[in-house]
Amino acid sequence: MTTLHVIAHSPFGDERLASCLRLLGTDDALLLCGDAVYALRSGSEPHRQLQAAGLAQRLFALEEDVQARAVGNELAKAVDYGGFVELSLHYDKVNSWL
Amino acid sequence: MKFAIAVFSPAHAPSSRRALRYAEAVLAGGHEIARLFFYQDGVHSASANVVAPQDELDVAGQWRAFIEANQLDAVVCIAAALRRGVLDEAEANRYQRPAVNLPKPWELSGLGQLHEAAQVADRLVCFGGD
Amino acid sequence: MAKSLLIISRQAPWNGPSAREALDIALAGGAFDLPLGMLFLDDGVFQLAADQQPTAVQQKNLAANLQALPMFGVEDLFACSHSLARRGLAADTLALPVQVLDDAALAALIARFDQVVTL
Repeated sequence: MTTLHVIAHSPFGDERLASCLRLLGTDDALLLCGDAVYALRSGSEPHRQLQAAGLAQRLFALEEDVQARAVGNELAKAVDYGGFVELSLHYDKVNSWL
Repeated sequence: MKFAIAVFSPAHAPSSRRALRYAEAVLAGGHEIARLFFYQDGVHSASANVVAPQDELDVAGQWRAFIEANQLDAVVCIAAALRRGVLDEAEANRYQRPAVNLPKPWELSGLGQLHEAAQVADRLVCFGGD
Repeated sequence: MAKSLLIISRQAPWNGPSAREALDIALAGGAFDLPLGMLFLDDGVFQLAADQQPTAVQQKNLAANLQALPMFGVEDLFACSHSLARRGLAADTLALPVQVLDDAALAALIARFDQVVTL
C-alpha cells in the first residue's frame, strides 16, 4: 500500500524530513506544508536532499505555505486544500509526521 | 469517501487551522467526516476559554461553528483533556475544579473512539506537532 | 476484517507526555483486539534504553507499561536500526523485545499497514 507522507516542520534543526526520506517507499509521496516548505529553498541542504531523493512527480507542497513564506518553488507540485484531499485518496493512507 | 480527522494541537497552532481548512475541503469535495478526534494538545482547540486577539483568526470559534453547522461528531480524549485542564461540567464537578471550559458540541470520551473512527473511515488524517 | 494500524513513536521518554500518549493509543487498540504494530523511531528509541530511573524526574515507569504491550495483544514491536546506531544504543541492550529493522525493511513495514499514526 502507498503512503502520502506529510511534514509540517522546518527541516533546519529537525529530524523529520531526513527520517522520512530514508523510509519513503518507491511509490510513496511527500507533501510539505507549514514550515516544511522551507526545504524548497534552492541553495539549501534540504533542497539538495529533496533533489537527491528523486521524487519527481511525488513531491507536493501546500500552495498557501509556499506563498506565505515567499519560497521559490521549482521542485514540488503546489496544491490547495482540495488537492490535499485528492492526494489523501490517491494514496492508500496518510502519515503525518506530527 | 469517509474521513477520520485527528487534531493534536491547540487552536493557536498552524496545524489546527490547517486541519480545519482540510476538514472544510473534505466536505466541499462531497466526502463525509466520520469523526473529529482531539488528542494531546488538540484538546485546547476545543476550549471555550480561548480568547483570540481581535485582529487574529479565532480558530477555536471557527472549529465550534464548523462542527455545529455540519452536525459533526467531535470527540475530545478525556485523559488528554483532564491532564491539560479542559473539563466539561461533569468532570469539573467530579474533580471539584472551578471552571468548565469544554462546551457542546464537543464530547469527552476515550481513545476507543479514535480507533472506531479509524476502522470505519477510508482515511485517517492527523494534524499537529506544533 | 479489521484495519491494521502502525503507531510510530518518535519522542524521547521524558519529553512531555508524547511517549505515554503514543503508548496509550497502542494499549487502547490492543484492548479492542485491533491489529497493531508499534515502531520506535528517532528519539523514540530512547524509550527502549535499559536501567532508566524515571522516579529521578518524578515520572511514572514507562518501561513497565511498554512491557505490558504483549499482554494487550500488541506483539509487533519494531525499532529503527539507524536511529539506534545514531544514538549509541546497542540492539542487544534494549529493555523491550523489538525487531530491529533497517530503512528498506521499515519502508516495507509502513507499506503493510492500512493506517499509520506518527507522534
